[in-house]
Amino acid sequence: MEQEDKGPALTRRTFIKSAGVAGAMFLAAGAFPPLVRPALAAVKGENINEVLKRQFGNRKVSMSHVTINAPIIAENGAVVPLTITSDLPMNNNDYVKKINVYADGNPEPYIAGIELTPANGKAMFAMRIKMRKTSNVRAILETSRGQLYGAIKPVKVTIGGCGG
Amino acid sequence: MVVGRIKIRVPGTIRKGEVIPVMALVSHPMDTGLIKNKAGQIIPAYYINDVDIFYGNERVTHCDWSYGISANPFISFYLKADKTAPLKIVYKDNKGGVYQQSVQITPR
Amino acid sequence: MRRCFYFFILVFAAGAVAAGGAFAGGAGSGIKEYKQNISTREYEKRYNAVYGKFTEQMAQQGNPADFVLDDGKDLFKKVDGSAGKSCASCHGENGEKLKGVAATYPKYDPSIKGINTVALQINRCRKDNMGAPELKYESHDQLALELYVKSLSNGVPIKVSIDGPARPFYKAGEAYYYKRQGQLNMSCAICHVKYAGHMIRANLLSNNRHHADHWPGYRLKWGKTGSLQKRFKGCNKKVRAKPLPFQCETYRDLELYLTYQANGLPVEVPGFRM
Repeated sequence: MEQEDKGPALTRRTFIKSAGVAGAMFLAAGAFPPLVRPALAAVKGENINEVLKRQFGNRKVSMSHVTINAPIIAENGAVVPLTITSDLPMNNNDYVKKINVYADGNPEPYIAGIELTPANGKAMFAMRIKMRKTSNVRAILETSRGQLYGAIKPVKVTIGGCGG
Repeated sequence: MVVGRIKIRVPGTIRKGEVIPVMALVSHPMDTGLIKNKAGQIIPAYYINDVDIFYGNERVTHCDWSYGISANPFISFYLKADKTAPLKIVYKDNKGGVYQQSVQITPR
Repeated sequence: MRRCFYFFILVFAAGAVAAGGAFAGGAGSGIKEYKQNISTREYEKRYNAVYGKFTEQMAQQGNPADFVLDDGKDLFKKVDGSAGKSCASCHGENGEKLKGVAATYPKYDPSIKGINTVALQINRCRKDNMGAPELKYESHDQLALELYVKSLSNGVPIKVSIDGPARPFYKAGEAYYYKRQGQLNMSCAICHVKYAGHMIRANLLSNNRHHADHWPGYRLKWGKTGSLQKRFKGCNKKVRAKPLPFQCETYRDLELYLTYQANGLPVEVPGFRM
């Protein structure tokens, strides 16, 4: 909302100068792609579909047995409470091995991978995550038998709100 | 704020074999490395990327985190309290910091 | 011209009626323009319908402001200033002598001829008794110390007095609360009295009963700990009025007004709000 003074104003001359510099940097980026591209990719963001494909290939995810508990409206995208629960069994032969958590709109959609063991007793994990914008939150659970279970929940991220 | 203060919360009375909820909070800035400060410089990435939870000698849970976890990370999970042993939570961040704390779990 | 004249008469008449109502009201709220249209209970019901119980749960599970409170505990025992004293050397090792004191603040103080708040008192005490530098308002150390001192009164019902010399300051705070200001020409009371319980886009407007009992606290929107007066500044900015400096006379009067609305509720710091 508020504008703060950030050094000298952008005059036409400095703009042309900085544009030139940026252009030079762009050329440099072309010349040495491995050095520059990872950082750019991190800011621009990965696609959630690519991430899922890389991790799970074409394996089938059954959308059941998993519940995501998250607010409908998150007042601050930097702190979104999230609880992932599942009614899948947690015994020595058959248990939830890993909980993967994703936020679609984030620059890095894969937020956390949590490895559980039968000693947990119940498949549940709660945390607070950052979300860049309104998007879906996904959880995909891997069981020790190799099945995948998942759930999707949309979360609205509002910024601005009331009372500065 | 002091980085790496840890608070672990477990129920007061625990029965043997009961599945108890455990909550933990740690103070950490969790900087993403994507945000600039007021002077226009990028704040370098500084976040916890690895959490290990031990119950006795056994590693119960392991978390692999990106910077997408909020500042002052909070976690909550269940634990089957079937032995008298310490519950230890170890946080490691990307700058080599290691923070840990343990609580004794004594089921009756 | 004539129409204009009638209009003025009408306005004056309305003003007179309002003033008469105020006098008839006596001890209650002096301004009859708005009435609290929602009970606290009804408000809580709507709050849960809109937001769910997430903030409540998050507060119980783990409040990041607890870490600030821990820092305050350390600061309380830290020797600072030319007198070689810490807060603990007068007020007891764990602040035993301050138990329940913060629940009576803000209160009138004859030595400054005005309202004294906890934050102001801490800084005055540091300057006069410890010879230590005053802490900058809203800095981490200041919030930590204020939070710790207030937390010593946790659970004690708020008991703020507006009798005697505090009365004019309470009235000034109330006048500010009902004064329209800023480019949007809104007063605090429009949102938190007249339209309390209604939605303002995605936000639910709260009623003013619970406004002062949980500060300093963690606020989700800020992502950090702040004080009640920071909230005042934010509200001022949102109606495009010019925010006033921390701990100025007007804000202290306003704090007294709001804390009086919360009389009888227990102090619960650190708070956790949206």
